[in-house]
Amino acid sequence: MNLRQLTAAAGLGLAAMISPALADNITVTDITGREVVVDAPVDRVILGEGRQIYLVGALEPENPFQRVVGWREDFSQADPDNYATYLKQFPRMAEIPTFGGFKDSTFDVEQAIALAPDVILMNIESKAATESAQYVEKLEAVGIPLVYVDFREDPFAHTEPSMRLIGQLFGKEKEAEAFLDYRHRQIKRVTDVIEAAKPERPSVFIDRAGGYSDDCCMSFGDGNFGEYVEMAGGQNIAAGIIPATFGNLNPEQIIAANPDHVVVTGGSWDAYVPGGKWVGVGPGADPAEAYRKLEALTHRAAMTGIAAVERSQFHAIWHQFYNSPYEFVAVQRIAKWLHPELFADLDPEATFVELHQRFLPVPYTPGYWVSLSDVEH
Amino acid sequence: MSNTNTLSSMASGRGHYRALVRRRQLMLAGFGIALLVSLCVDLALGPSNYSLEQVIRALVAPDSVPVQVQVVLWEIRMPIALMAVVVGAALSVAGAQMQTILNNPLASPFTLGISAGASFGAALALAFGVTLIPAAIEYVVPINAFVVAMLAAFFIHLVSMRRGVTVQTIVLLGIALVFTFNALLALVQFFASQQALAAVVFWTMGSLTKATWGKFWITLAVVVVVLPFFFRRAWALTAMRLGDAKAESFGINIARMRLETMILVSLLSAIPIAFVGTVGFVGLVGPHIARMLIGEDQRFFLPASALSGALILSASSVVSKSLIPGTIFPIGVVTSLVGIPFFISLILSNQRRSW
Repeated sequence: MNLRQLTAAAGLGLAAMISPALADNITVTDITGREVVVDAPVDRVILGEGRQIYLVGALEPENPFQRVVGWREDFSQADPDNYATYLKQFPRMAEIPTFGGFKDSTFDVEQAIALAPDVILMNIESKAATESAQYVEKLEAVGIPLVYVDFREDPFAHTEPSMRLIGQLFGKEKEAEAFLDYRHRQIKRVTDVIEAAKPERPSVFIDRAGGYSDDCCMSFGDGNFGEYVEMAGGQNIAAGIIPATFGNLNPEQIIAANPDHVVVTGGSWDAYVPGGKWVGVGPGADPAEAYRKLEALTHRAAMTGIAAVERSQFHAIWHQFYNSPYEFVAVQRIAKWLHPELFADLDPEATFVELHQRFLPVPYTPGYWVSLSDVEH
Repeated sequence: MSNTNTLSSMASGRGHYRALVRRRQLMLAGFGIALLVSLCVDLALGPSNYSLEQVIRALVAPDSVPVQVQVVLWEIRMPIALMAVVVGAALSVAGAQMQTILNNPLASPFTLGISAGASFGAALALAFGVTLIPAAIEYVVPINAFVVAMLAAFFIHLVSMRRGVTVQTIVLLGIALVFTFNALLALVQFFASQQALAAVVFWTMGSLTKATWGKFWITLAVVVVVLPFFFRRAWALTAMRLGDAKAESFGINIARMRLETMILVSLLSAIPIAFVGTVGFVGLVGPHIARMLIGEDQRFFLPASALSGALILSASSVVSKSLIPGTIFPIGVVTSLVGIPFFISLILSNQRRSW
């Protein structure tokens, strides 16, 4: 060991002694395959989408907002019920600076720099807009790294790496793995059974935001809820018809396809369509009211005489499962509707309760689904 | 000698005129038959693949077929097919009369900002639940669309009544309105939630699936009430196309004529747009086809415009559900994609000057 190496080693050792908890430069790979150098663990984070708190919250349930210095204002609009629950528990949340605007597009880069974050988490949908505005370069120039995460566009492929990435950034790898392991096992509880039993696949019509407008009927193609239905052992009647993730079905097609089940997605949309025909399922929903509105949707012309209505296999589920990393609960719920005998011992509600107890910052509030096959009504 | 000459030329002129009228009547009959065929195809086609016999039985004796077939024919296919016909006719006649009174081949509900106003009104309701006039929930969006569309039309009237305003000014003003409402629409979208954004986008693409019997009857009533007004003024409207000075020399009060026609035309375009969303280019292309085939004489031009618009939209309805079976393509997209090439060819082949 020569003198130079010695001084270098001593310097390193000294540095390590002086600040053992100081952040290190680590290289992480984001969802798009970009390698980004970040000073981790980070203390100041900007959430490019407010609902990323669904992931962040599972890592730091005791104080999910401690690192958040700014976020997009979509949580309160898209998921008002949970927003209220979080706000009650973490009143400080209301003071976090927000930026509004289009769902996909970007933010005020000046505001972002002023908040001096250690990292910015962006959703993959905003990639095109972010790139065309060259935000990455602009932020790099002031030393702010940006990483892409995703739990919506391809939830089953991207939620795991996204969660791991956030875990790495926060220095919470263990918590991230625990959550992912739980999620993975819960998904397998459905997919393993379907794979082993290979049951006949009942046909399912997914009524996207049924009753939101009188234009019948929006649905999902292969992606998102379409994928949940396939995983749950059903056959989506719009698969192969709707080219993109969501689109419109000819109302007559529903009669022609004669689906065995209808799954309406719903939420409390009083802010948008006051007194509308939507089914207000979600945390804290009134089950009797949700049941009544769900029943009313069976009287639309497009539902005439279909098997799902005749046999009361008409269900409603919380619409926001479409962009939540807790979508595996929806998969379990749909699976149990489609194959009640196969999943007799599966209790989706218990799963959701356990998820909240073990991982999430807020307590569980029931009301996420309702079905005309429920006996208690 | 010269006397017999005049007589014979008068006779030949009369013969010529009769032949012309006859030719135009045949043309109208042709349009009518084509429309009927298109309507039948629209009723017969659908993802359920019912046999022709079943369709006919469902139409003539609804009780003899299963209830599902009844519902498909009477509650799903029929309102859409009939809505296509009345909306097409209404928009085309609206466009025809706008072109007539403004003496401008580019005038239509689409280019004068009435559609754009309707879209903005609808978006207000869809995104924020804003109701301009309290109403039953299923009519909130159409009523909003209608109110803003009428405000746009009213604004155009106000300005057009000022002294020294030419028809060119009105057309330019319409274009300014289009841009204004498009900007306002973008503003609404900027603040809208994702869910509402999807609804707004779908609304502005136009879709006949919103059709119901109630909406059909309202639209039909407007057409039935407004058309006779135009027929009664057929000669005066024809004279308008000769220019303001000539029309005035025939004793026509052109300012009044313009104002009354504008009011009727606004009704005729705002109501269908409020119900089915933006359906572009029918109001522009429909009357041009009619004019090229039948000429400017309003006695024939008016029904021909109505029929050609109805035919375009009815055929588009068939296309919109056949492109990807099982889904319904937004009809506004179909009419625009078919209408734009036609419109360009119209501009380029202007040597023939049907205008």
